Amino acid sequence: MKLQRNLFLASFILPALALYFLFALYPLGKGIYLSLFDWSGGSETYNFVGLDNFKALLRDGVILKSIRNDYILIIGKVLGFMVLSIIFAIGLTRFRIKGSGFYRAIFFIPNVLSVVVVGVLWRYIYNPNIGFLNSFISLFTEKEFNFPWLGDQWSIFALLPPSIWAGVGYTVILLVAGILNIPDSLYESADIEGASQWRQFWSISLPLMWEQVKTSVLWIVMTTLNGAFVIVTIMTFEGGTDNATQVLGSYLYFNAFKYGKFSYAAAIGVLILVLSLLTTVVLQRLMKRETVELS
Amino acid sequence: MKKKARGLSWTFSVMLLITVLVAGCSSSNTNSENNSSQTSTTTSTNTTDSHTQTTDNGGGLQGEFEIQYFVGGYGDAWWKQAIAEFQALNPDLKIKQSAGPKINDQMKPRWLQGDPPDFVYIDGAGSNTRQMVQDDQLMDITDWLKEAENVDGQNILDLLIAQPEEYEAGKMHAIPFVFGSWGTFYDKNLFAEKGWETPTDWQSFISVGEKIQAEGDMSVYIHTGVYPYYINGALLDPTIVAMNGYDTSIVKRINALEEGIWKSEPVMKALEKMVEMRDKGFIDQGSVALNHTDSQMEFLQHKAAFIPNGLWVEGEMGSDVPDGFQFGFIPSIGQDNGGKYVANPYVSTVAIAKKAKNPEAAKAFLQYIYTEKQSKAWAELSKAPSNIKADLSGTNATKLTIEAAAFYSSADTVVSPEVVMPEALVTERNNSTMALLEGKITPQEWVERMEKATAEARGN
Repeated sequence: MKLQRNLFLASFILPALALYFLFALYPLGKGIYLSLFDWSGGSETYNFVGLDNFKALLRDGVILKSIRNDYILIIGKVLGFMVLSIIFAIGLTRFRIKGSGFYRAIFFIPNVLSVVVVGVLWRYIYNPNIGFLNSFISLFTEKEFNFPWLGDQWSIFALLPPSIWAGVGYTVILLVAGILNIPDSLYESADIEGASQWRQFWSISLPLMWEQVKTSVLWIVMTTLNGAFVIVTIMTFEGGTDNATQVLGSYLYFNAFKYGKFSYAAAIGVLILVLSLLTTVVLQRLMKRETVELS
Repeated sequence: MKKKARGLSWTFSVMLLITVLVAGCSSSNTNSENNSSQTSTTTSTNTTDSHTQTTDNGGGLQGEFEIQYFVGGYGDAWWKQAIAEFQALNPDLKIKQSAGPKINDQMKPRWLQGDPPDFVYIDGAGSNTRQMVQDDQLMDITDWLKEAENVDGQNILDLLIAQPEEYEAGKMHAIPFVFGSWGTFYDKNLFAEKGWETPTDWQSFISVGEKIQAEGDMSVYIHTGVYPYYINGALLDPTIVAMNGYDTSIVKRINALEEGIWKSEPVMKALEKMVEMRDKGFIDQGSVALNHTDSQMEFLQHKAAFIPNGLWVEGEMGSDVPDGFQFGFIPSIGQDNGGKYVANPYVSTVAIAKKAKNPEAAKAFLQYIYTEKQSKAWAELSKAPSNIKADLSGTNATKLTIEAAAFYSSADTVVSPEVVMPEALVTERNNSTMALLEGKITPQEWVERMEKATAEARGN
């Protein structure tokens, strides 16, 4: 009987485990292994070079710039996402705005769009000569305004609005779900005690949706470190003017598939892995709060 | 309640089933599409009946022969035609075509496993002749090529406009097959209407630029800042050759990653010309953020008078070209005082794999395609010039192709070798040029960055 039960369990666990090994752990291990070689990505010969690729990382100025850009994106996105989605979520639930279902759908629509569509759309908004943004600003200026938003040395900041616009709907939904889980009775008694909306937000809503806030922040951090290269390459192609918008992910891609330095790219991959782990651990620590259990 | 739950689970099961079925269908659909569009196997049996009359010249090639070719802006009409003709001559040869817009990526695993096709046309994203030579994937054909004659009995090397690049000194691995050049483009009709003269050298470019600037309707010069190799190829490289007294050996020295080459006087002079243009405010301010299609669209809309580009631009913009717009082409604008034009070419090559299983067939195919007849066929079917010398008049080649071909054969034009550097160095040069054009670095700093990156590339 017990054997049967174990077999039954194994039939569910083993296939998943096998797939996980094949598609997650094996590539991870292989990536780390490859980072110890000098391999172009197209040659049949592999030369073992030990940690040379990692030493080269330290001397490469673009790496520092990419790390800086990655963290500009992370910090900018966490702030932008959380401020906006908390405002929207509170507005949609606590203030009982008319047609809140409609707004929820509206906020979520950009999430459904492919990131390619988002990138191309925003490239038109930012276009220096015929774009919407500069045409709008030109209404108020004497001379035609044609600032190249995506060609400046700080254009990494121009990538924040599209990323936030495209993803904020998801965290709004998460937070809305969190707030809706809070029993009305808590707010009612707070009302009776005369607590202001502001007080209610700080003392009831925020602590009780903290799990959702935490999940959202971690989600933003992980998707940015691992996926920012998509928006970077779609909007600024090879990493902007003189690597102005290069992030680790895009630099990895170009090294592996363009410059013929596959092993060096694998070393960048290891760096991304280490940074992701560190960032997550630090964030977990920072956001640790006593969990409030609702009975 | 229970009934409802069961109903729900049924619905889910059915939906799951449908999803699986649909997914299955769609994947099998794409498979079959792939098969038909990207790899079609032409066997001797399905061609013999239609070509029996041409098989009696005794084409003796046997076995299997695989051709890999990228399908991009030039299409695949010429390839299909040439391969069908070659098949007809060799009815016992089993020709397999591996082709498509993503073929370079698709075939990569096979090259890695040491099971490459016999013959490869190297073009498009994900391909780089220099890298393939470096990775020891291509056959050294130096000795064969020196003697090789095409099917018409002409020496192949004598027929080439651009000679094979020697990535390793004295060795040839790939033969240029498509030839075109970078240049500066303008709208002939606009220039005629405004009374602007077509520049023939740097001084006349500056003076017409000042005139355009004074009129204030458009920028003088727009380029794609996202892909700075356009401005490097169309402005910087030809200017370097002109500043070297039209001696094209400097390109060979650049390709050989020679130390100190970027510090040389011709390079500095060329960079200073770019700085002059920048300081006069000729360059459209938005250029830095534009990709190639954006910049070309704005050029077509007369937001700027000149654009650095390649000969493919006319075909690429196709139906977007407004009525009354007529492309004009200047090979180079950097030469001083009525000097010669410098045409900086771009080529796409063909090669035989080092591990080809049927090198004899691959060589025979090379001898078959490097003929004047195929050159004309390529120009007509692919709407671009090939690297085989041929008189294109009387063919259906576009006006721009014929105009450019006239420049190449003129005594006033120097055709330089192609600049071929490792991709990482190309990128560093792109970045440095953009920094220079934005005024963030000086020509001196540009040179230092390039010397440093070149030293690194030599180490690899």
